[in-house]
Amino acid sequence: MGQGRPRELCCAASAGGHLDQLLALSDGWASADVVFVTSLDVAGNALRRQGSVHVIGECNREHPLRVLAVLLRCLRIASTERFDAVISTGAAPGLLMSLASKLFGAKVVWVDSIANIEKLSLSGRLIRPWADLMLTQWPEVAELYSNVDYVGELV
Amino acid sequence: MIFVTVGTLGPFDRLVRAVDELCGRGAIHEQVFAQAGKTSYHARHIQVVESLSRDAFDERMRRSSAVIGHAGMGTILKAIAIEKPLLVVPREKRFAEHVNDHQVATARRFAELQHVLACFDVRDLVTQIGLLHGFRPAPRVPRSAQVSRRIREFLEQSVSR
Repeated sequence: MGQGRPRELCCAASAGGHLDQLLALSDGWASADVVFVTSLDVAGNALRRQGSVHVIGECNREHPLRVLAVLLRCLRIASTERFDAVISTGAAPGLLMSLASKLFGAKVVWVDSIANIEKLSLSGRLIRPWADLMLTQWPEVAELYSNVDYVGELV
Repeated sequence: MIFVTVGTLGPFDRLVRAVDELCGRGAIHEQVFAQAGKTSYHARHIQVVESLSRDAFDERMRRSSAVIGHAGMGTILKAIAIEKPLLVVPREKRFAEHVNDHQVATARRFAELQHVLACFDVRDLVTQIGLLHGFRPAPRVPRSAQVSRRIREFLEQSVSR
């Protein structure tokens, strides 16, 4: 991309603990234009002060149809916004938004949630082949994978 | 007051029953207030509510002398943040308390880091509760600035030119 255009960044996380962890990273995107993607309206409303927000709904592996519906919303957002990069802390909605953004040319930054102490989350394991920067919050988890780094924890 | 919380994942009767029975036996000398989720277990010796609003939960935790809870990340991080002694009992898959056993790993790790006390068998609960009031949780210093810096550097290198 050109030097003059500001970076367009997507920050994606489920409402609750995942979003708390994502917001602890706000220094990381200091100069970028940020679009938030989250799962529930309650979280979206709190974010509107900080940037534009898309609410895509909650989903998980137990409900494949809901996953598909959320994926379609992610693809629509990614195709119109054309992000330069996406940062996500999970879970499934963050994974889908990251994959959709990647498809339209974005770099993917994934920070696996603090809850995953012994191995990467399922979402983390699925995004790993596509991630451009892959971080965990536990040094022991980083040792298990070739392209996963530990530099600190968010909460 | 000891505050017992099972979080928002559903009931955790193994824990609530154990605390209730200890109170019945006179093994806990303090008043106990429990947030027990949607449960059919009728506690006889402790006060129980199904759920608490976020604010009411925070207030209960602040006012308590100690907390006993499941090994959920929300409960653990909140207790560390307000320096409240917390004893965690992990939910286990074999008792249909969770989809897997990751709370056992969480409990073990956070206990190793001296952030919480952990109890892996409710038969040991009375011993662990005895240790709770003397327990001072180790403060947690997250290094989110380092993570932010790493991401900022990555974005500057790989995206902005």
